[in-house]
Amino acid sequence: MLQRTTSVTELEVNSVAIASVLHIGDSKIIHGDSRALAVQRQAEIFYGNEGHFNFPIFTEPVPLPPIEEDVQMFRQNYNPVIKIRKVDIIGISSSAVVQLGNTGHITMLNRTKHIRQLLENLH
Amino acid sequence: MIYNVYNRDLSVGDIKITAVASSAIFLIGDAETIQLASTFDTPPESLIIGPFVPLAPEA
Repeated sequence: MLQRTTSVTELEVNSVAIASVLHIGDSKIIHGDSRALAVQRQAEIFYGNEGHFNFPIFTEPVPLPPIEEDVQMFRQNYNPVIKIRKVDIIGISSSAVVQLGNTGHITMLNRTKHIRQLLENLH
Repeated sequence: MIYNVYNRDLSVGDIKITAVASSAIFLIGDAETIQLASTFDTPPESLIIGPFVPLAPEA
């Protein structure tokens, strides 16, 4: 059965960072896992060796619902081309994937611990 | 459940995206299964008000 083709005339990406992928073409399996310690601090102080990933959020199981729906899908690609004139992306970061093409199975997970550090009332 | 899909013309002009981040997916094409999960945590003790104490480094 005819697979669909992705046609992008113009692709502009400014940055691909921190274990991210810009994939042009087909793939079978995509798997991504990212962990972040997001500290928002009211003063510009950065020590460099701060923080650790021993918080429970980074180890607790994240239940991905199993796909067990009994769905039979039948596809007719009367026009097998996906036409895009221009794609303009500023940033792809933290185990993110941008793919132009077909794929099979994608499973992605992100774990973020937020910490806020505020100064006492300044006045 | 029978699910019939008839793909005809699919044509888009410009796509502008600021960021695709944190295990996100931007796919132009077909996929069989997509499973995305995200968990975040901001408990009360994550809000620290007062003099700065650097976070404990890796144990």
